[in-house]
Amino acid sequence: MIHDQARYVENGQYEPLLSEKGTSEVDVGGDDSPLPDDLTRDSVELPALSEPELARHYTRLSQMNWSIDSGPYPLGSCTMKYNPKFTEEVAADPKGAVHPDRSARSVQGSLGLLHGLQEYLARIGGMDAVTLQPPAGAAGEFAGILVAKAYHEANGEDRDEVIIPASAHGTNFASAAMAGYDVVELPSAEDGRVDVEALEAAVGDDTAALMLTNPNTVGLFERDIERIAETVHDAGGLLYYDGANLNALLGRARPGDMGFDIMHYNVHKTFATPHGGGGPGAGPVGVVDELAEFLPAPRVRERSSGSGYELFDPERSVGKVHGFQGNWLVLVKAYAYIARLGDEGLLDASAKAVLNANYLGSQVEFDIPYGPFHHEFAATAGEKDAADVAKRMLDYGVHPPTTKWPEMVPEAMLTEPTEIETKKSLDDLAAAFNAAAGDDEETLADAPSRTTARRIDQVSAARNPRLSWQALDGDE
Amino acid sequence: MTRERGSPYAPHAEGETAAMLDAVGVDDEEALFDIPEGVRFDGEFGIEPRSEQALRRELTALLGRNDDLTEFMGRGHYDHYVPSIVDNLSQRAEFLTSYTQYQPEITQGFLQALFEYQSMLVELTGLPVANCSMYDSATALAEAARLADRVRQASGTRVFVPEFLRSGKRGVLDNYLAGTEMTVETYPMDDGNVDVEALAELVDDETAMVYAENPTVRGSIEERLAEIGELASENDALFCLGTDLVALALLEEPASVGADVVVGEAGVLGLPNAYGMGLGLFATREEYLRQVPGRLVGVSEDAADRRAYTLTLQTREQHIRRERATSNICTNQAWVALRAAIHLAWLGPSELVDLAEDCVRDAAALAERLDALVGLKAPVHDRHHFREFVVRCDQPAAAIAGDLETEGYAVHVVGEHLLQVCITDANAHKADELVAAFEGVL
Amino acid sequence: MFEVPDDLRYMESHEWTSTDDVARIGITDFAQDELGDVVFVELPDEGSELTKGDEFGVVESIKAVSDLYAPISGTVVGVNEALFDQPELVNDDPYAEGWMLEVEPADDGEFDELLTAEEYREQTE
Repeated sequence: MIHDQARYVENGQYEPLLSEKGTSEVDVGGDDSPLPDDLTRDSVELPALSEPELARHYTRLSQMNWSIDSGPYPLGSCTMKYNPKFTEEVAADPKGAVHPDRSARSVQGSLGLLHGLQEYLARIGGMDAVTLQPPAGAAGEFAGILVAKAYHEANGEDRDEVIIPASAHGTNFASAAMAGYDVVELPSAEDGRVDVEALEAAVGDDTAALMLTNPNTVGLFERDIERIAETVHDAGGLLYYDGANLNALLGRARPGDMGFDIMHYNVHKTFATPHGGGGPGAGPVGVVDELAEFLPAPRVRERSSGSGYELFDPERSVGKVHGFQGNWLVLVKAYAYIARLGDEGLLDASAKAVLNANYLGSQVEFDIPYGPFHHEFAATAGEKDAADVAKRMLDYGVHPPTTKWPEMVPEAMLTEPTEIETKKSLDDLAAAFNAAAGDDEETLADAPSRTTARRIDQVSAARNPRLSWQALDGDE
Repeated sequence: MTRERGSPYAPHAEGETAAMLDAVGVDDEEALFDIPEGVRFDGEFGIEPRSEQALRRELTALLGRNDDLTEFMGRGHYDHYVPSIVDNLSQRAEFLTSYTQYQPEITQGFLQALFEYQSMLVELTGLPVANCSMYDSATALAEAARLADRVRQASGTRVFVPEFLRSGKRGVLDNYLAGTEMTVETYPMDDGNVDVEALAELVDDETAMVYAENPTVRGSIEERLAEIGELASENDALFCLGTDLVALALLEEPASVGADVVVGEAGVLGLPNAYGMGLGLFATREEYLRQVPGRLVGVSEDAADRRAYTLTLQTREQHIRRERATSNICTNQAWVALRAAIHLAWLGPSELVDLAEDCVRDAAALAERLDALVGLKAPVHDRHHFREFVVRCDQPAAAIAGDLETEGYAVHVVGEHLLQVCITDANAHKADELVAAFEGVL
Repeated sequence: MFEVPDDLRYMESHEWTSTDDVARIGITDFAQDELGDVVFVELPDEGSELTKGDEFGVVESIKAVSDLYAPISGTVVGVNEALFDQPELVNDDPYAEGWMLEVEPADDGEFDELLTAEEYREQTE
C-alpha cells in the first residue's frame, strides 16, 4: 500500500504557525481596568484569528497527523487499540461534569461509576482493593511504590532497594528512584526471561520490591513466576506488576493469582481509552488486602447502610498522587469499554491480540529472536538500521513498530498489532515490513518521502533548542 | 468461560481466524498462551457484556443520579465556558486517537499544536521554556520542587509553601519529595496574602524554593510578588509561582516579578468541569532547560529544508535516562493541552483579557451583594479577588452550605464559619439566584 | 579503524588524557562514534577537584547519555567552553578541538595505572 499524507506548503513552509497567521497585542490595565495598574501586566500578545480561520488551521494540522483511525499503529508496548466512539459521548455527559469538591451525597452517579470501575479492575487483576487516582501509568507505578514503602515502614523495616529487569520500561526505574529507592538492575537470562538465579542472588534484606512486566517487553510469559514470587516474598519483598502488557492475559491469568501484591493498570492501553497524542491516560493501582490501608486517599466505597456510595481515606494512606481524583474523563471511558465487552469480549480481545501478533510474526521476514511470544514480538532489523526501516514503513501506509528497544534485541522492532487489525491489515503491515526489508540502505536513509515532513534532523533540534515561536524570531 | 460473543472491536471473520491459526500452526488461540497451569485463571469476572445502546442508557441513568446543582465552586478547579470549536476540533480522530509523536514526520500536526501551546505559555508567563504538559497543578508544583532540588541542591533543602494551600496540592508535594532531602514548611498569610515580613524571617540560605500563588487558593490577588521574588533570589532559592491560564492574562507577568518557575492549572481553558481532571502548566528559565520534566517540542528542519517539529531533548526523560531522569512522566495530558490551545486561540488576546477582568469584577460584585445580607461578611480578606472569595457567616458554614445544596447550589466550606464562593462566566448568569438562595437560608 | 594516538593514556570507559604537566582530557574516537552526534556536553567549573574514577560530567547524543569518568585526580584549570556552543567538535576532532578539560594532576603516578594506546586498541577491537 502507498500512503501520501496531507502536506500544505506556504511560503516554503508547511502549515504556518498561529503566530504567523496573525496576532494582536492588547494593553492591559488602564482606566477601565478593575485592578490598579501595579497589580496587572502591561500587555498580552496572542494569536487573533476568526473561528473559520482556526477551524481550517486545526483541521489541516489534524490531516498532518497519523492516528489509530488512519491505519495500523503497531507500537510495541503501547497497545494502540481502536477507541470506541460511544465512550466519548458517555464521557461528555454534562451530568458527570461536576466539581471535585461536591458533597458525596450530591454526586452518587459519579461515585457509583468510580466504584464500579474499582470493582471491575479488582476482578480483572485478581486484586482486593483499587485506587483510581493516578493519572498515568508512571503515576501508578509511583503510587504503588509509595504503598510498598509505607508497608515496609509500618513493619519497622528499612529496605532501600527496588529490583528491576534490564528490559523493563524506563518509567519503572524513574518511579522507583522518585520514591527514594536505589535501583538494582537485573540482567535477562539467555531465553529472554528473568534470570531467576540472578534474582535469588540479588534479593535480600534490602529488597523492598521487584517490579515486573508479564508478559515481558518482548512478549514472553515469565514461566517461573511462581518461583520468582516465592523468592521475593521469602526475602520479605513485595512483587509489583507493571500492567502495560495486561492486554495479553485478560481472563487467562491474573497478576493477583501469580503472586503480585501491587499492580497498575494502563487503561489507555488495555481498556482502549484514546491516547490523545500523548495523554491523558489513567493508571489505577490495585493491591492485595494487606496493603489496602496504604492506598492513596480518598477511595470510594459503598455506604455501610448499603445504599449509595461515600468517599473515605484509607487508614494509613500514603496521601495524594494527584491534586484531586485523577483523570475522570479517562476513567469513564475505561468503565464504558469494560462494560461493553464483558467477560466474553475481554477474553476475546486478548485471544485476538495474541493471535494477531503471532500471525503477523509469521509473515514478516525479519528474524524474531525470542518466543513463544504473546501480544507483541521483538523482530530484529539485523544488519539494517531499525530506525531507517521504520521511516521507510511510513511510506508504505502504516505506522512502524517501536524501534531500538528493548536493548536485549539488536536493532529491535517491537511490534504489537493488538486485536483490532483484520487479516487484511496485518497482511498490509507484513507487506510494509517486507518491502522495507528489501529496500537498499540508500532508499531507507532517504525515507520517508510520502509523509508531511521528510526526514527530520533530530541533531539540529537538540543542539539548538528552539522551543517557542518567540525563539524563531530572526532565526529564518 | 464460554465465548458466545467476542469483542466488537476485534473484527475477525471465522474463515480469517482459521487461516491465521493455520499460518501460525496451531489449532486455536489457546495454544498460543504459554501460561503455566499453576497460574492459569479459569474463573469469571462476572461482567455482563452490553449492547452499545443498552450501555448508553445504563450510564446515562447512572450519571443521572448526580444532583443538578448550580456550582459556585473553585479552589483549583474552575469552570469556564468551553466553545463548541474546542470539542469539535480536538475530537477529530486524527488528534484524539494518535499516540506520542515518536515518528515526527507523520505527526507534524500534533507537534505543531503542542509547539503553539508552549509558545502561548511563553507569552503569558514571560519565561522562555514551557513544557507540553504535566498532569495537573499539584504535580506541576511537585515537579518544580524536584527541579529546585536538582539545581540548587548545594544551597538548601527547605521548601516554603503558603499557609493557605489546597491539601491535595500539599499532599502531592510531600510525596514527590519523599525520596529527597527536601522538607516542606509553611509560612503564614496576612489577611489572605503572603505575610512577606514573616516569610523574610523564615527564608534563609538553606532554602531551595519559595512557592506562592496568584491568585491565592482563596482568590485574593497578591500585591507584593516582586518582593517575594527578590527574597528568594537573595537567598539563592527558586521562586515558584502558581497561577492559571486566565489569571495570567491580567495579573502581573511572572517573569516581571522574578519567578523562576511558573506552575498551575491550564485546564481552566479547554476543559469543562471534569471532577478534578486538569492540565498542569510548567514554564521556567532557559538556564534550567536541561532539568525540565516532561516533553518538549522543538523546531528543526526536514530533508526538504522546511521547518519541522519534533520532540526534543529526550535524554532528560525516563525512556533514556531511566532512574536519573528529570521525572518519571511518560503519558501526559497532551490532548488537554491541545484543547487549551484551541480555546486560547479562539479567545484571542482581547477576549481573554475581558474574561480575566470579568473574573475580578464579578467576584467583587457578588461579594458586595453577599456582604449586604445580614449574617454574612464578604470578602473576608480586604484584598482584590479573582473569581472567588471567602465569606464569613454567623451561622455554622456547614449548615448554610447544606441548606444551599437543598436549594440547588454548591459552595465550599473552608472553616467553621467560612464559606468560599467562586464565580465565572459559566455561572455568572445565576448570581441573582444564588444571592436569593443565601437570603432564603440565612 | 579508530584513531588511538600513541602519546595518550586511556580509560576502559573511553576517556583519554595527555601526560603533560597540565593534562588534557577528552573522549576517544571510538567513544564519539558509538555515541553518534553529540548534542550536549556538561563539564565541571574551573577550580573543581577531580578524583580518579569518579564522574565529572556528561556527554549526550540524541538517544544516549554517557557519564564521563576522570582518568586522573587533580584540579580543573581549563574547560573547553567551545563545546557548549559546538558540541559537534567532540565528533569532528575528539583528540584536539574536542578536548574537554585541562587538569593539574594531583599524582603523576596515576598515569601509569591507565591503559596504553596499544592496550586500549586491543580493548576496542
